[in-house]
Amino acid sequence: MTTTIVRTTARVVVPIVLVVATSLFLGGHNAPGGGFIGGVLTVGAFVLVYVAYGLDYLEVGVLDREVDPGGGILEHRTVAAYRRLFTLGLGIALASGLAGMLFGKPFLYQHHDYVHVPVLGEYELASALVFDVGIYCVVVGGLLAILSVVGAE
Amino acid sequence: MESVFLAVALPFLAVVALPPLHRVLGDRVGYVGAAVAVASFGLVASRLGTTGSGAVAWVPSMDVALRLRVDAWALLFALLASGIGVLVFAYAARYMHGKPSLGRFYAALSAFMGSILGVAFASDLVALFLFWELTSVCSFVLIGYHTEDAESRYSARMAMIITVGGGLCLLVALLLLSVASGPALGARTFDLAAMLANEGTIRAMRAALSDSGLFVPVLVLVAVAAGAKSAQVPLHFWLPNAMVAPTPVSAFLHSATMVKVGVYVLGRVRPLFLGEAWTLLVATVGLATMTVGAVLAVTANDIKELLAYSTASHLGLMVAGFGFRTHYGAEAGVFHLFNHALFKAALFLVAGVVAHEVGTRRLDDLGGLYRDLPITAAIAGVTVLSMAGVPPFGGFYSKELLFKAAWETGLAEGGLYWLYPAVAVGASVFTVLYSLRFLSAFLGERPATVEDVARPPVALVAPPALLAALTLVTSVAPGLAIEAVVGDAAAVTAVEAVDVTAKIPTEPSGPALMSLAALVVGAAAYPSVDRVRNGIARFEAGSTLARPTNLYDWLLDEVEWASDRLDATVHGGPLRTHVTWVLATTCALVLLGFLSTGVAVPPTGPLAPTAMILVLAVAAVAAVAVAAAPSHVAGVLTLGILGFMVAVFYVLASGPDLALTQLVVETLLLVVFLLVIEELPAYYAELRVRVAARDAALSVLVGATAFVAVLVAAPDQGLSETAEWYVNNAVEEGGGTNVVNVVLTDFRAFDTLGEAAVILLAAASVLVLLAMRDRGETG
Repeated sequence: MTTTIVRTTARVVVPIVLVVATSLFLGGHNAPGGGFIGGVLTVGAFVLVYVAYGLDYLEVGVLDREVDPGGGILEHRTVAAYRRLFTLGLGIALASGLAGMLFGKPFLYQHHDYVHVPVLGEYELASALVFDVGIYCVVVGGLLAILSVVGAE
Repeated sequence: MESVFLAVALPFLAVVALPPLHRVLGDRVGYVGAAVAVASFGLVASRLGTTGSGAVAWVPSMDVALRLRVDAWALLFALLASGIGVLVFAYAARYMHGKPSLGRFYAALSAFMGSILGVAFASDLVALFLFWELTSVCSFVLIGYHTEDAESRYSARMAMIITVGGGLCLLVALLLLSVASGPALGARTFDLAAMLANEGTIRAMRAALSDSGLFVPVLVLVAVAAGAKSAQVPLHFWLPNAMVAPTPVSAFLHSATMVKVGVYVLGRVRPLFLGEAWTLLVATVGLATMTVGAVLAVTANDIKELLAYSTASHLGLMVAGFGFRTHYGAEAGVFHLFNHALFKAALFLVAGVVAHEVGTRRLDDLGGLYRDLPITAAIAGVTVLSMAGVPPFGGFYSKELLFKAAWETGLAEGGLYWLYPAVAVGASVFTVLYSLRFLSAFLGERPATVEDVARPPVALVAPPALLAALTLVTSVAPGLAIEAVVGDAAAVTAVEAVDVTAKIPTEPSGPALMSLAALVVGAAAYPSVDRVRNGIARFEAGSTLARPTNLYDWLLDEVEWASDRLDATVHGGPLRTHVTWVLATTCALVLLGFLSTGVAVPPTGPLAPTAMILVLAVAAVAAVAVAAAPSHVAGVLTLGILGFMVAVFYVLASGPDLALTQLVVETLLLVVFLLVIEELPAYYAELRVRVAARDAALSVLVGATAFVAVLVAAPDQGLSETAEWYVNNAVEEGGGTNVVNVVLTDFRAFDTLGEAAVILLAAASVLVLLAMRDRGETG
C-alpha cells in the first residue's frame, strides 16, 4: 500500500484532515462535532500516515528520533505514548468533573461564560471543553493503541 | 450514639492500618489489634444499660440508612464479640508467632470483629445483610489461612458456600419483610427496629405477612439462614471442617461469635414470628442439632473436632430455647449464649495450649496432663463442668432454663410435645459423656507417647484463665451477669415479662429431675464410653444420612460438571458459537420482556420520504451482498456501502452528528479491515447448510428484535418530554447550541465518562491479550 500515489495523497490530505478534525472538535459545542468525532477523525489522519509510511515514520521522519529496534510492538515507544495519552485523557475528564465539586457543585457540573476578546468579538468559554479534551484524548489514544498493535501484526 | 458508631468503625479502620503496621512491628501487631478491641469494648460497655438509635443516611430515596440501634441484646452480643476479641488478639500475638502472612490474618480478624459488631447493632435490614455476609467472607479468609493446604481451601470453600447460601435466604426474607412493612406500618421501610417497636407494630407486621401468605415462607427462610450460619442440622457439617483454621480463629469465630450470629438474629426476630410454626421448626431443629452434635462429639478423637461438634450442639440448645414459646425459652437462649461464649472460647484456647505444648490433639494420646499443665488443667476443669451443665457452674443454670422451657411446653401442649424434654435429656447425657472425655486428657495416667511437655507461656494461659475466672464468677454469683445485661437482653427477645432466675433446685420438680437424670446417666455411662463410641461409629459407617459431607461433595461435583458442560456449549471456542448464544439470549430476553409487560406496537406513522426509501433500499441490497460476497475484499467493500448508506440516512433524518460519526468510523473500519485482510484466508471455507440456516435465522431474529424495540421505544413522532427539556435548556444551562454535544458533555456527562472507560477497557484488553500471547499464555 505504500505506493507513491498513496504517499503523495497522504501528504496533501493528512494536514487537511487534521485541521478539519480540530475545527470539528472546537466547534462541537455549537455545531456538529465534538470530542468523539474530532478524535476519530484525528485517528483517521494518523492511520493514513501509518498506511502510507509505516509505524516508525512519525518517530523517524517527523520527530527525528531513533527507533529502538528491539522489543515487541507492546514496548514500542509510540504505543507507550498512546497508552499514556488515553490514561491522561481519562485523568482530564475525571479532573474536570471533580473540579466542579471544589466549588460545591455536583460531580461533572459544567460551567460556561462569555468573554469579550478585542477585535475578534464575543467568545464563549465552556468548562465542558476541558471534559471534551479528555474524551478526545481517550478516543485518540485508545483507538490508535489498538490500531497500531493490530496493524503491526 | 457516636460511641457505638465509633466502636463499629474502629475495627474497620484497623483493617487498613494493621498490614503496614505488621511490617514495622512484626508479630507484636497482634497487641495493636487487641488495643483496638479494647477500645471497641470500652465504647460498647459505656452504653451498658441504655437504649438508643442513630442513623447515617445512605440511600435516602429508598430509605436505606446505616441505622444502628442499641439495646441490651445487641450490647450483650457486642460485648462478647469485642471482649473475646481482645483475648483472642492477645493470644494470637503469641500463638501465631512466626507464621506467614500475619498482616492479612490480623486484618481479616479485625474486619471480622467489626462485622460482628455491625450485625449486633444494625437495625437497617440492608446494613444487617451486608454485615452478615461480611462475617462469612472474613471467615472464608480466616479458615483458608493456610492457602497452600488443599484441606484448608476445601473447608474454607465449604463454609463459604453454606453460610453465604444461607445469607441469600436471609436476603430474600429481609426483602419480604420490607415489602410487608408497606401495608403494616404505612410506609415501606428497611428499619427493623420500627417493625419490632411495640406490640402494635409486631401485630401489624404479622397480619401483613399472613395476609400475603408470606408468614411461613419468611419464617422458614430466616430459620434456614440462621441454621446455615449457626451450624444447625442438616447444615452443621461445615463447622467441624472449619477447624483447620488456626486455633485463635476457631475460638473467636467458631465458638464465640460468628456461629452465634444466626442465633442472635433468631433472638432478634423471635417476637415477630413466635407461634406454633416457629416452635415446630426452630425448637425441633435446635434439639435435633443438640443431639446430633453431642453424639458426634462423643465419637470425635481430635479435641478441636470434639469442641466443634460440641459447639454445634450448644448452638442447638440456644436455638431450641428461642424456639419455645414460653419466656423460659428466651431466657435459656440468651443466658446460654453468654455462658457458652465464656466456656467454649476458653476451651478452644486450652486446646491450642495443649496442641502447642504437647504436639498432639488426639484424645487417645493424651492423659494425665494435670501434672505438667496444672493451671491449664484447672481452667479446663472449671469450663468443662460449665459445659457439661454440672451444678453449680454457669452452664447448669442456662441448661436448666431450657429444661424448664421444654417441660412447660410438654405440659402445655401434651402428646408428642413430650418428645422435646425427652430429647433434651438424651442430648444432655451425651454432653456429659463428651465433657468427661475431654477432661480425661488432663486426668489419669500419662501415656508413654507424651513426654517433654513444656510450660506454656503466660501469654497463652492468661486469656483462657480470664475466661475461666468469669465462668467462675457467673457460677458463684449468676445474679451479677443477669443484673448487668442478660436479664434485659432476654426481655428484648421475649414478648412476655421475663425473670431470669439462676438457682440450684432444692425440691424435686420436672426440670430438676431432668438435670439429675442427664448427669447420673452420663456419668454412669462413662466407663463404657468406648462401647458407645463403637456403636455410633458403626451406625455412621452404615448410613449416608449421618454423613452430609458426602451429599455436599456429590452436589458440588454435579454442579461443577454441569457448569463445565454449559461452558463448553456456550463458550466452546469459535467466536461464532459465542456470538450466537449472546445474541439469541439477548433477543429472547428483550422479546420476553416486551411480552410479559404487554407493550403494544403502536400504529405506523406516515410513509418515509422517497429519498430515504431509496437509500435504505441500497443499504438492503448491500446487506444481502455482504452475506453473498465470495471473498473478503468484496465483503468488506459491500459492508462499506452499507455503512455509508446508513450515514446518508442519518443526513436525511437530520442527524448531522450521527452522520459525521458514522462516516468517520466507517472509513476507519474499512482501513482496519484492509490492514488485517492479508492475514485472513483468501476465501471462505465450505459453507454447511445447517450452519448457514441457523445463522440466517439468528440474523432475522436479531433484526426483528431491533425493529420491534425501536417501534416500541419511539412510539410517537414528536419529541419526548426529556428531549424537549434538553432542546429548551441546552443554551441556557449548557451554553451550547449543539444539543447532542451539550447532552454528551454536560447533561449526561457521566454516561460519556462511562463510554470513555469502555474505550479504555477495549484498548487495555487488546494490549493485554497480545502481551499474554507474546508470553506464550493462552488462557
